[in-house]
Amino acid sequence: MADLAAFTRFARVYQAGEIIFSEYEPGDSFYLIQSGRVKITKIVGEIEKTIDILQPPEIFGEMAILEGTPRSATAVALDSVKVLEFNRANFEVLMMGNPQIALRLMKLFAKRIYDQKRRFMILTLDDQQARVADVFLMLAETQAQVSAAAEQDGEKREFRVTVEDVAHWAGMSSQDVQAILAHFSNQRRVELYGDRIVVKNINDFSRFVSSRRKK
Amino acid sequence: MPKVASFRANSVIYFEGDVSDKIFVLQKGRVTLKYTDIETGADVHDMIAMGEFFGVKSALGRYPREENALVVEDAQVLVFAVPEFEQFASANSRIIIKMLKVFSNQLRRIHRQVENLMEKQEALSPEAGLFRTGEYYLKNRMYSQAKYVFGRYLTYYPAGKQAEVSARHLEAAETALVRYGDGKGPAIATGGSAFAPSRSQTAERNPEAPPRKPDPAPLSDAAKSYYNAVSLFSQEKYKEALGEFKAIMEGGGDSEYGPKAAFDFGRSLYMLQQYDLTIKHYTQMVQTAPRHPDLLDILLYLGHSWEKKGDVERAKGFYRKILSMEQDEDHATHIKARKSLKSLEEGARG
Repeated sequence: MADLAAFTRFARVYQAGEIIFSEYEPGDSFYLIQSGRVKITKIVGEIEKTIDILQPPEIFGEMAILEGTPRSATAVALDSVKVLEFNRANFEVLMMGNPQIALRLMKLFAKRIYDQKRRFMILTLDDQQARVADVFLMLAETQAQVSAAAEQDGEKREFRVTVEDVAHWAGMSSQDVQAILAHFSNQRRVELYGDRIVVKNINDFSRFVSSRRKK
Repeated sequence: MPKVASFRANSVIYFEGDVSDKIFVLQKGRVTLKYTDIETGADVHDMIAMGEFFGVKSALGRYPREENALVVEDAQVLVFAVPEFEQFASANSRIIIKMLKVFSNQLRRIHRQVENLMEKQEALSPEAGLFRTGEYYLKNRMYSQAKYVFGRYLTYYPAGKQAEVSARHLEAAETALVRYGDGKGPAIATGGSAFAPSRSQTAERNPEAPPRKPDPAPLSDAAKSYYNAVSLFSQEKYKEALGEFKAIMEGGGDSEYGPKAAFDFGRSLYMLQQYDLTIKHYTQMVQTAPRHPDLLDILLYLGHSWEKKGDVERAKGFYRKILSMEQDEDHATHIKARKSLKSLEEGARG
């Protein structure tokens, strides 16, 4: 961990349950967790979803360095949390003095760029069925990254997602996604459950999506 | 230690799709990065400048390369493994900052491209989104979260479409928090919001709901300045808030916001720890406006002010007065007075 003693004036303390920032709030600062855990949530439809649980020395709220875009998620203190709060004005000072943090931020940006590009690939598909299928391919790729050694049952893949989640990534309405999933289900390409969706042959989806992608 | 490597013209340093942990710096010759623009589908060639790093992003994250690195003229490059690069970069903060800026520009660009392609259903304005987030918390009895969000709403949009509703919801959240605590008590009906629903399911969820109310009338000037002051108060800018409330009070005229401002003027004084002035202001209010809708809270602040000044007996007197005036044990001010009284009595015993 980098030496952050000089930055104590940027320290903020939050009690368990306290909101650090809310989704849609304009943001101009980002945070470095020093102690405690921070939960990142987003309200999707009628449910508040936990996207991530972060702990020291992770960084969050970093998108705010880009421009005054509204927060895309809510950050809540899960325990008693201590963070260092930085903004664009003191960003460079922090980075100059702490290359380790700068490197961490760089990796985070690299990941974000890849994630966004992958999302973009989905959205550029004109065929709505292909879009839905591509969401599952994207999820399969991230799952593979998380644990390459995870047991995969042949070509079958299981996803802990809801129709709302898929609709969000596909940039489509839940109704449209629901209809497409029902169609896939009739074709026996997917199985729909309350808490998960099973794709029976991920390679079939992969072939289907590439056949629909513009070359 | 990074190694020096040489490449012949027309050879390839890496291919799109390769996964590797190598990062390069061009030292001699000419190298170009060839990739397909994801938006236009056109081929793009980016010439690498002398001394420039390439392959950084994919190596750092162990992602597939996004481009072909083609050698145009015989080239010499320095090859770093990721740990070597990290070590080098740690000693050269300027380089990291430069790269961070490049990355953040790329991120900004792709972010915007994604946003542009998202269906309109996702495009909730930040104002509407913030308000709906608050409503969600309120409905789900997460009062302290609701309190935070509506407070923020008033901070950013003091004259917003939902400023008045947010102020009401904020109050409801505060009351419920005191009365029941987070996660308890009945869900608070938030009613229809003036923002268009993003998904039609809002209607499905409640098929018997009356049609949505039309947008509320635009705020009057008096209301705007009042919510502006409330916004300052919620940002803990009590001094500024005090000035604004004073101006509204002294402006007279407005029968609705004048008395509200008078009450909040006192609260601001209290927050600024001006207890004598708080007592003076509220005592006068009790005499001139005995039917003020916030009378119980005025008495509560009088009690608190006396307590702060160390006059426990007078403080107790005000708390008891509240308990006798408002006998509903679930009333927020009743609860607050009861708690304050109890802690004073326990303090005396202990």
